[in-house]
Amino acid sequence: MARFVDLTVSAVLLAGLYATMAYGLGLIYGVLRVVNLAHGGIIMAGAYLGWTLHERAGLDPYLSIPLVVAVTFMTGVVMYRLLVRHLPRGAAGGPASLLLLFGVWLVLRNAAYLLFTGNDQTIRTEYSTRALPLFGSYVSVNRLAVLGIAVVTPVLLQYLLKRTYLGRAIRAVAQNADSCTLVGIDVGRIYTITFGIGSALAGLAGVLSATIFSFNPAFGSGELLKSFVVVVLGGLGSVLGTGVAALILAVAEVFAILVLPSYLTAAVGFVMLVLVLVFRPGGLFGQRVLG
Amino acid sequence: MTPRPPRLVGPRAVVAFAVAIGALALLPVALELSPYTHNLVTLTFLMVSGALAWNWMGGYVGQVSFGHAAMFGVGGFVAARLMMLESPVPAPLAWLVGGLAAGVFALGAHPTLRLRGPYFSIATIGLGEASRLVFTYWEGFTGGSSGVSLPIDADTKFRLYWWGLALVALVVAASFVIRRSTLGLQLLAIKSDVDAAGDVGVNATLYQDLIFALSGVVVGITGGLYASYFSFIEPNDMFGFDRSIAFVLMAVIGGVGTIFGPILGAIVFVLLRQFLLASYPQLYLGLYGLLLILIILFEPLGLSGLAFRILRRFGRGRKAAAKAAIA
Repeated sequence: MARFVDLTVSAVLLAGLYATMAYGLGLIYGVLRVVNLAHGGIIMAGAYLGWTLHERAGLDPYLSIPLVVAVTFMTGVVMYRLLVRHLPRGAAGGPASLLLLFGVWLVLRNAAYLLFTGNDQTIRTEYSTRALPLFGSYVSVNRLAVLGIAVVTPVLLQYLLKRTYLGRAIRAVAQNADSCTLVGIDVGRIYTITFGIGSALAGLAGVLSATIFSFNPAFGSGELLKSFVVVVLGGLGSVLGTGVAALILAVAEVFAILVLPSYLTAAVGFVMLVLVLVFRPGGLFGQRVLG
Repeated sequence: MTPRPPRLVGPRAVVAFAVAIGALALLPVALELSPYTHNLVTLTFLMVSGALAWNWMGGYVGQVSFGHAAMFGVGGFVAARLMMLESPVPAPLAWLVGGLAAGVFALGAHPTLRLRGPYFSIATIGLGEASRLVFTYWEGFTGGSSGVSLPIDADTKFRLYWWGLALVALVVAASFVIRRSTLGLQLLAIKSDVDAAGDVGVNATLYQDLIFALSGVVVGITGGLYASYFSFIEPNDMFGFDRSIAFVLMAVIGGVGTIFGPILGAIVFVLLRQFLLASYPQLYLGLYGLLLILIILFEPLGLSGLAFRILRRFGRGRKAAAKAAIA
């Protein structure tokens, strides 16, 4: 029973992280119809940014979040203006965008190798090993903090999308970009900002992961695929759906330990990805347009 | 009177093809290649075959697979196991059986074939990585992370050159036949619009299965030859994501959907890799990434696109360009 509680608690905490990873990928796909294969690279970059700020400037990883978010936002903006913008329209969702962004990912990975070598890194703070008692088991402070941020993020995102002019413009562009130009929305600008926000969310997920897991320049490929599972399973634009999907993935992964050898639990996400794509390509709650 | 379809391949092309293959077959004898060059050319033959086979799916059908390493690995390990039996199966038979096993394995991806565009690509990443984990875990078959060694003598390795060349000849011929036949047109229809293709009676599911399996067979055979070439294989390398990427890169660098493209791409890939791994091992991943970005932004047809442009500039006329474009 204690084992069951343990596993459930860690699944819930993991789900928060997965959901945070997925928002950025889902937002960019929902608005631009581009699968951002560089997503994993930005997550990795976010992790290294947090690590550098902690190692070099002694900044607490949670306090470095605004800085990391700002930098990855700008990275996304530059990526869009410099590269993604030039993709042929219509084909944007096709192989061209996949290959282009995949190239960006390779470059990011290589840059990280050059800057930080291929060694595994962790962000270690004095509270890294501290844990709180919860439901008869112990939960690390870090994981609770990550879960807290993972709950706040979608609320803020929802507020941005529903209540602000920018958010309404983003949703309008997602629905029909051509009509938006008719009513005076600068579609190019909205695309740029959306790509920035999506990247910033990936950067946020990166720092959060870095407080829990060790990482190296290849970090992010598994995260990309997991984000994709969550986006597809949860349906686009549904914040609740994303949360539920993240929980399903986390529960499947965590409880797989009971039946599978630990080496194979990593395959659970991949298998789920394929099953979800084949059997529920519209997501659990049907495909919805953003918002 | 029913219209006669154009000839599959012109007589001049057949002659050129035969001369090229013949010249390559005589090359080691005529020039007394150093063992280094001999092996490098052998490796290039294998990569050319793999890139062309990937291109059947990625170029002709337009389904970009990021998971071809799975078939490469299955072919390699089945062939390896057959050659390691107490009464070893002769190498060519082992390669063939490995290829067929890979083809059957590819059919396991059938449910993902109705996915389109990015969904298919991402599903293949999942399938490829899942295969890597499962086969690495299956130590009885693949030897786990420590891999298996094949009993290959120097003579067999030397002769791999001609086996590789034979495979290239076969795959190039098959690429032409697939492209120029009715099947090629049907694949083109599927690539352009799968629903419209279905409306005019093209059985998209069947043809995609067929091409994916064929592609798997060839990539599997390539895997078997590759296993013999290195005489030591390890699942994390054979099934690795980097290997899947290599197929994509070769075809994209050369020109997706063309025939000369993947050939050219594979040659450039092998040479670049050899050169970079020797002098700048820390840069080669990023360089491929940069190459990918530049190609997609400036010349989606890769090196063959560049070649067409240069040909046109020098007034070889539109005809040559158009001819090359459908090749």
